[in-house]
Amino acid sequence: MNEKIAKALYRAAALTFEELGFMFPSQDLDPLQKFAPVDGVASVDFQGPCEGRLVVRLAGGVLPVLTANMMGELEAPSENMQNDAIGEIANIICGNLLPSLAGVKQVFHLDPPTTRPARDAVAPVTGLAPEAEVQIGLEEGRADILLFLTSSPGQQQ
Amino acid sequence: MALNVLIVDDSAVMRAIVIKTLHLSGLALGQVYEAKDGEEALRVLDENWVDLSLIDINMPVLNGVDLIDRIRQNPETADLSIIVVSTESSETRIENVQRKGVAFVHKPFTPETLREAILRATGVIDERKDSEGSISGGSFDF
Repeated sequence: MNEKIAKALYRAAALTFEELGFMFPSQDLDPLQKFAPVDGVASVDFQGPCEGRLVVRLAGGVLPVLTANMMGELEAPSENMQNDAIGEIANIICGNLLPSLAGVKQVFHLDPPTTRPARDAVAPVTGLAPEAEVQIGLEEGRADILLFLTSSPGQQQ
Repeated sequence: MALNVLIVDDSAVMRAIVIKTLHLSGLALGQVYEAKDGEEALRVLDENWVDLSLIDINMPVLNGVDLIDRIRQNPETADLSIIVVSTESSETRIENVQRKGVAFVHKPFTPETLREAILRATGVIDERKDSEGSISGGSFDF
Protein backbone atom coordinates (compact mmCIF):
# COMPACT_ATOMS: atom_id res chain seq x y z
CA MET A 1 0.00 0.00 0.00
CA ASN A 2 1.19 3.52 -0.80
CA GLU A 3 1.48 5.22 2.62
CA LYS A 4 1.81 8.72 1.17
CA ILE A 5 -1.44 8.36 -0.75
CA ALA A 6 -3.08 6.75 2.28
CA LYS A 7 -2.27 9.82 4.37
CA ALA A 8 -3.74 12.12 1.71
CA LEU A 9 -6.78 9.86 1.53
CA TYR A 10 -7.27 10.06 5.29
CA ARG A 11 -6.94 13.87 5.28
CA ALA A 12 -9.45 14.30 2.44
CA ALA A 13 -11.96 11.94 4.05
CA ALA A 14 -11.60 13.31 7.60
CA LEU A 15 -12.11 16.88 6.38
CA THR A 16 -15.22 15.88 4.43
CA PHE A 17 -16.83 14.06 7.37
CA GLU A 18 -16.00 16.95 9.71
CA GLU A 19 -17.13 19.86 7.55
CA LEU A 20 -20.18 18.38 5.83
CA GLY A 21 -21.23 15.65 8.25
CA PHE A 22 -20.30 17.27 11.57
CA MET A 23 -18.75 13.93 12.57
CA PHE A 24 -15.39 13.68 14.26
CA PRO A 25 -13.12 10.96 12.91
CA SER A 26 -10.89 8.72 14.97
CA GLN A 27 -7.99 6.58 13.78
CA ASP A 28 -8.29 3.95 16.51
CA LEU A 29 -11.29 1.68 15.97
CA ASP A 30 -12.83 -0.36 18.77
CA PRO A 31 -14.09 -3.92 17.97
CA LEU A 32 -17.69 -2.66 17.61
CA GLN A 33 -16.62 -0.21 14.93
CA LYS A 34 -14.19 -2.59 13.26
CA PHE A 35 -16.72 -5.38 12.66
CA ALA A 36 -19.84 -3.26 12.11
CA PRO A 37 -22.00 -4.35 9.14
CA VAL A 38 -21.85 -2.22 6.00
CA ASP A 39 -24.74 0.27 5.46
CA GLY A 40 -23.93 1.42 1.97
CA VAL A 41 -21.29 1.69 -0.74
CA ALA A 42 -20.57 4.37 -3.32
CA SER A 43 -17.83 4.71 -5.90
CA VAL A 44 -16.53 7.35 -8.26
CA ASP A 45 -14.49 6.54 -11.39
CA PHE A 46 -11.99 9.13 -12.60
CA GLN A 47 -9.91 9.69 -15.71
CA GLY A 48 -7.02 12.07 -16.37
CA PRO A 49 -3.26 11.87 -15.72
CA CYS A 50 -4.15 8.58 -14.01
CA GLU A 51 -7.31 6.50 -13.94
CA GLY A 52 -9.07 4.58 -11.26
CA ARG A 53 -11.91 4.33 -8.78
CA LEU A 54 -12.51 5.63 -5.27
CA VAL A 55 -14.82 3.54 -3.09
CA VAL A 56 -16.51 4.64 0.14
CA ARG A 57 -18.12 2.06 2.45
CA LEU A 58 -20.04 3.23 5.51
CA ALA A 59 -20.79 0.79 8.33
CA GLY A 60 -22.46 0.61 11.72
CA GLY A 61 -25.37 3.00 11.18
CA VAL A 62 -23.18 5.90 10.05
CA LEU A 63 -25.03 6.52 6.77
CA PRO A 64 -28.45 7.65 8.14
CA VAL A 65 -26.79 9.79 10.83
CA LEU A 66 -24.41 11.36 8.32
CA THR A 67 -27.25 12.13 5.89
CA ALA A 68 -29.38 13.70 8.65
CA ASN A 69 -26.41 15.79 9.82
CA MET A 70 -25.66 16.98 6.29
CA MET A 71 -29.27 18.05 5.77
CA GLY A 72 -29.74 19.49 9.26
CA GLU A 73 -32.57 17.08 10.09
CA LEU A 74 -33.27 15.14 13.26
CA GLU A 75 -34.95 12.12 11.64
CA ALA A 76 -33.18 9.71 9.27
CA PRO A 77 -33.83 10.86 5.68
CA SER A 78 -35.18 8.50 2.99
CA GLU A 79 -33.07 5.75 1.42
CA ASN A 80 -32.83 7.81 -1.77
CA MET A 81 -31.37 10.73 0.14
CA GLN A 82 -28.95 8.41 1.95
CA ASN A 83 -27.76 7.08 -1.41
CA ASP A 84 -27.39 10.64 -2.66
CA ALA A 85 -25.40 11.58 0.45
CA ILE A 86 -22.89 8.72 0.25
CA GLY A 87 -22.44 9.42 -3.47
CA GLU A 88 -21.72 13.08 -2.79
CA ILE A 89 -19.29 12.17 0.00
CA ALA A 90 -17.42 9.84 -2.39
CA ASN A 91 -17.37 12.57 -5.04
CA ILE A 92 -15.95 15.16 -2.64
CA ILE A 93 -13.29 12.87 -1.18
CA CYS A 94 -12.22 11.86 -4.69
CA GLY A 95 -12.05 15.48 -5.89
CA ASN A 96 -9.92 16.45 -2.92
CA LEU A 97 -7.60 13.46 -3.22
CA LEU A 98 -6.71 13.76 -6.92
CA PRO A 99 -4.21 16.66 -6.61
CA SER A 100 -2.17 14.40 -4.30
CA LEU A 101 -1.84 11.88 -7.14
CA ALA A 102 -0.82 14.15 -9.99
CA GLY A 103 -0.40 17.75 -8.78
CA VAL A 104 -2.72 20.74 -8.47
CA LYS A 105 -2.44 21.84 -12.11
CA GLN A 106 -3.67 18.57 -13.61
CA VAL A 107 -7.25 18.23 -14.80
CA PHE A 108 -9.32 15.11 -14.09
CA HIS A 109 -12.76 14.04 -15.21
CA LEU A 110 -14.94 12.49 -12.53
CA ASP A 111 -17.89 10.27 -13.48
CA PRO A 112 -21.12 10.66 -11.51
CA PRO A 113 -21.07 8.60 -8.27
CA THR A 114 -22.50 5.09 -8.36
CA THR A 115 -24.18 3.66 -5.27
CA ARG A 116 -24.15 -0.06 -4.65
CA PRO A 117 -25.96 -2.47 -2.34
CA ALA A 118 -24.12 -3.32 0.88
CA ARG A 119 -23.59 -6.92 -0.38
CA ASP A 120 -21.27 -5.50 -3.05
CA ALA A 121 -18.96 -4.14 -0.37
CA VAL A 122 -16.24 -6.68 -1.08
CA ALA A 123 -13.92 -6.55 -4.10
CA PRO A 124 -15.28 -3.43 -5.80
CA VAL A 125 -12.68 -3.70 -8.55
CA THR A 126 -12.21 -7.36 -9.31
CA GLY A 127 -8.62 -8.52 -9.48
CA LEU A 128 -7.04 -5.32 -8.22
CA ALA A 129 -5.56 -4.62 -4.81
CA PRO A 130 -6.21 -1.12 -3.54
CA GLU A 131 -3.40 1.39 -4.01
CA ALA A 132 -4.39 2.86 -0.65
CA GLU A 133 -7.01 2.06 1.98
CA VAL A 134 -7.98 3.81 5.20
CA GLN A 135 -10.48 3.09 7.96
CA ILE A 136 -11.96 5.95 9.93
CA GLY A 137 -13.95 5.57 13.15
CA LEU A 138 -17.19 7.59 13.10
CA GLU A 139 -19.54 7.43 16.10
CA GLU A 140 -20.58 3.75 16.53
CA GLY A 141 -19.39 2.74 13.09
CA ARG A 142 -16.72 3.41 10.51
CA ALA A 143 -15.90 4.52 6.99
CA ASP A 144 -13.66 2.48 4.70
CA ILE A 145 -12.10 4.46 1.87
CA LEU A 146 -10.33 2.53 -0.88
CA LEU A 147 -8.44 3.87 -3.87
CA PHE A 148 -7.90 1.65 -6.92
CA LEU A 149 -5.65 2.76 -9.76
CA THR A 150 -5.97 1.15 -13.19
CA SER A 151 -3.17 3.35 -14.55
CA SER A 152 -0.57 5.41 -12.70
CA PRO A 153 0.33 9.06 -13.48
CA GLY A 154 3.52 7.99 -15.29
CA GLN A 155 1.64 5.61 -17.56
CA GLN A 156 -0.81 8.27 -18.74
CA GLN A 157 1.67 11.05 -19.50
CA MET B 1 -34.98 43.75 -1.38
CA ALA B 2 -35.56 40.00 -1.28
CA LEU B 3 -33.17 37.99 -3.46
CA ASN B 4 -34.33 35.21 -5.75
CA VAL B 5 -31.78 32.39 -5.75
CA LEU B 6 -31.22 29.42 -8.06
CA ILE B 7 -29.29 26.38 -6.80
CA VAL B 8 -27.96 24.02 -9.48
CA ASP B 9 -26.55 20.70 -8.31
CA ASP B 10 -27.31 17.10 -9.26
CA SER B 11 -27.17 16.11 -5.57
CA ALA B 12 -30.44 16.75 -3.71
CA VAL B 13 -28.55 16.56 -0.40
CA MET B 14 -26.12 19.25 -1.52
CA ARG B 15 -29.00 21.48 -2.65
CA ALA B 16 -30.58 21.01 0.80
CA ILE B 17 -27.30 22.03 2.49
CA VAL B 18 -27.05 25.18 0.37
CA ILE B 19 -30.70 26.11 1.04
CA LYS B 20 -30.16 25.62 4.77
CA THR B 21 -27.12 27.90 4.66
CA LEU B 22 -29.05 30.53 2.68
CA HIS B 23 -31.76 30.60 5.33
CA LEU B 24 -29.11 31.00 8.04
CA SER B 25 -27.20 33.68 6.15
CA GLY B 26 -29.36 36.60 7.19
CA LEU B 27 -30.25 37.38 3.56
CA ALA B 28 -33.77 38.50 2.74
CA LEU B 29 -34.78 35.62 0.49
CA GLY B 30 -37.50 35.68 -2.14
CA GLN B 31 -37.96 32.57 -4.26
CA VAL B 32 -35.44 29.74 -3.97
CA TYR B 33 -35.37 27.65 -7.14
CA GLU B 34 -33.64 24.30 -7.60
CA ALA B 35 -32.30 22.59 -10.73
CA LYS B 36 -30.53 19.23 -11.01
CA ASP B 37 -28.60 20.05 -14.19
CA GLY B 38 -27.73 22.92 -16.51
CA GLU B 39 -30.68 22.44 -18.87
CA GLU B 40 -33.15 22.66 -15.99
CA ALA B 41 -31.34 25.75 -14.74
CA LEU B 42 -31.68 27.48 -18.12
CA ARG B 43 -35.43 26.78 -18.10
CA VAL B 44 -35.74 28.33 -14.62
CA LEU B 45 -33.74 31.37 -15.74
CA ASP B 46 -35.90 31.71 -18.86
CA GLU B 47 -39.12 31.79 -16.84
CA ASN B 48 -38.09 33.62 -13.66
CA TRP B 49 -36.02 36.54 -12.40
CA VAL B 50 -33.00 35.29 -10.45
CA ASP B 51 -30.47 37.49 -8.57
CA LEU B 52 -27.93 34.87 -7.48
CA SER B 53 -27.09 31.37 -8.65
CA LEU B 54 -24.98 28.72 -6.90
CA ILE B 55 -23.74 26.22 -9.47
CA ASP B 56 -21.94 22.87 -9.30
CA ILE B 57 -19.51 22.00 -12.12
CA ASN B 58 -19.80 18.24 -12.55
CA MET B 59 -23.40 17.59 -13.58
CA PRO B 60 -25.11 15.43 -16.20
CA VAL B 61 -26.86 16.76 -19.34
CA LEU B 62 -25.28 20.25 -19.25
CA ASN B 63 -22.34 20.80 -16.90
CA GLY B 64 -21.66 23.91 -14.83
CA VAL B 65 -18.97 25.40 -17.09
CA ASP B 66 -21.19 25.19 -20.18
CA LEU B 67 -24.12 26.54 -18.15
CA ILE B 68 -22.10 29.60 -17.06
CA ASP B 69 -21.09 30.22 -20.69
CA ARG B 70 -24.76 30.11 -21.77
CA ILE B 71 -25.73 32.46 -18.92
CA ARG B 72 -23.00 34.96 -19.83
CA GLN B 73 -23.92 34.84 -23.55
CA ASN B 74 -27.56 35.79 -22.88
CA PRO B 75 -27.93 39.59 -22.44
CA GLU B 76 -30.80 39.03 -19.97
CA THR B 77 -28.68 36.92 -17.62
CA ALA B 78 -25.13 38.06 -18.46
CA ASP B 79 -24.73 40.02 -15.21
CA LEU B 80 -26.12 37.34 -12.89
CA SER B 81 -24.11 36.90 -9.67
CA ILE B 82 -22.73 33.35 -9.67
CA ILE B 83 -20.96 31.27 -7.05
CA VAL B 84 -19.49 27.96 -8.22
CA VAL B 85 -19.71 25.35 -5.45
CA SER B 86 -17.64 22.40 -6.53
CA THR B 87 -15.31 19.60 -5.54
CA GLU B 88 -12.99 20.68 -8.37
CA SER B 89 -9.39 20.86 -7.11
CA SER B 90 -7.45 21.54 -10.31
CA GLU B 91 -5.98 25.05 -10.13
CA THR B 92 -6.05 25.18 -13.92
CA ARG B 93 -9.78 24.52 -14.10
CA ILE B 94 -10.60 26.79 -11.13
CA GLU B 95 -8.72 29.69 -12.74
CA ASN B 96 -10.56 29.08 -16.01
CA VAL B 97 -13.90 29.21 -14.21
CA GLN B 98 -12.99 32.34 -12.23
CA ARG B 99 -12.16 34.15 -15.50
CA LYS B 100 -15.87 33.93 -16.28
CA GLY B 101 -16.54 36.39 -13.45
CA VAL B 102 -17.72 33.96 -10.77
CA ALA B 103 -16.79 33.30 -7.16
CA PHE B 104 -15.58 29.83 -6.18
CA VAL B 105 -16.33 27.80 -3.04
CA HIS B 106 -14.62 24.47 -2.68
CA LYS B 107 -16.39 21.37 -1.33
CA PRO B 108 -16.28 20.43 1.48
CA PHE B 109 -17.14 23.80 2.96
CA THR B 110 -18.22 25.00 6.35
CA PRO B 111 -21.54 26.88 6.52
CA GLU B 112 -19.51 29.97 7.47
CA THR B 113 -17.40 29.75 4.31
CA LEU B 114 -20.42 29.51 2.04
CA ARG B 115 -22.22 32.27 3.93
CA GLU B 116 -19.23 34.62 3.54
CA ALA B 117 -19.14 33.94 -0.21
CA ILE B 118 -22.89 34.58 -0.52
CA LEU B 119 -22.62 37.87 1.39
CA ARG B 120 -19.66 38.98 -0.77
CA ALA B 121 -21.40 38.03 -4.01
CA THR B 122 -24.61 39.82 -3.09
CA GLY B 123 -22.95 42.82 -1.40
CA VAL B 124 -25.13 42.34 1.68
CA ILE B 125 -23.60 43.77 4.87
CA ASP B 126 -22.90 41.11 7.48
CA GLU B 127 -24.68 42.59 10.51
CA ARG B 128 -23.60 39.77 12.82
CA LYS B 129 -19.96 40.40 11.94
CA ASP B 130 -20.38 44.12 12.60
CA SER B 131 -21.92 43.52 16.02
CA GLU B 132 -19.67 40.65 17.14
CA GLY B 133 -16.38 41.77 15.61
CA SER B 134 -15.85 38.44 13.86
CA ILE B 135 -17.86 35.42 12.83
CA SER B 136 -14.89 33.09 13.02
CA GLY B 137 -15.76 31.97 16.53
CA GLY B 138 -19.44 31.50 15.79
CA SER B 139 -21.09 28.55 14.17
CA PHE B 140 -24.37 27.47 12.71
CA ASP B 141 -26.52 24.83 14.31
CA PHE B 142 -27.28 22.47 11.47
